[in-house]
Amino acid sequence: MSVEVEVNESDLAEMVEQVWESYLDPEGISPLIPTYDENQPSEVHSSVSITGSWSGHVVYASSRAAAQRAAAAFLAMEIDEVSEEDISDTLGELANIVGGNVKAMLPTGAQLSLPQVVLAPESSARYPNAQRISGVYGIWEGEPVSISMWHSSAENKEEGE
Amino acid sequence: MRAMVIDDSRAMRMILKRIVTKLNFEAVEAGDGQEAMDRLAELTEVPELALIDWNMPNMNGLEFVTKVRADPRLREMTLVMVTTESEQSQIVRALAAGAHEYVIKPFTEGAMIEKLALLGLVPTGANS
Repeated sequence: MSVEVEVNESDLAEMVEQVWESYLDPEGISPLIPTYDENQPSEVHSSVSITGSWSGHVVYASSRAAAQRAAAAFLAMEIDEVSEEDISDTLGELANIVGGNVKAMLPTGAQLSLPQVVLAPESSARYPNAQRISGVYGIWEGEPVSISMWHSSAENKEEGE
Repeated sequence: MRAMVIDDSRAMRMILKRIVTKLNFEAVEAGDGQEAMDRLAELTEVPELALIDWNMPNMNGLEFVTKVRADPRLREMTLVMVTTESEQSQIVRALAAGAHEYVIKPFTEGAMIEKLALLGLVPTGANS
């Protein structure tokens, strides 16, 4: 049974800030600047699914340049050294970290999947019966980055039909 | 000193390896609990420290901790869970299974060093 729960934008924003402070911007010089634009474009994305007491998905999406920059920061590399595998690993871990922290805010009994990475825009993915319920949308060093949360329920299916 | 870094994310293994190497540990990597058990069986010297993710394929971190605690040869290894599983109930489960400490992702390098200092594995003030 899935219960109603709200992880709001300010909860997500706090998690995102911790990720930036820990891995992407430890010096505190390149924060994610909010745009509040949920329609900003993406070129790559990663996601984790949550099932059990609450069902849904956490999706990290960005431009390819932002993903490359994230991998360089994460792995302490120069941007031109970053490989496809580095981008994929980093995107997967970013979804895993945010998803794990979201799960901690949900009622006991939720499970987190292993991350999935797709080097294609977020719009290419389909989450059946899921509806976006909150998100953080911003610009990082001139490039779009978003972290969104999707809730799955039978009601969404009915609404969509 | 030797540290084993166990995480299915290569990116996270690289971050942890970078931190422990800076603290003069020789780092050994494993992509999941089973690979870590296999590596431990091959090693003549047991690492002093293992940094263990929770969610991994094949053998997860909690299963790994349970297996290590059942093996007298590995008794001296300090086990630190490094994971996004931050619910109180999960922390209690890990500690009950035999983990010594718990670090929640995302963590800063400073926080990780402080935790290792708390365990007596690096000198206090190694972070400064």
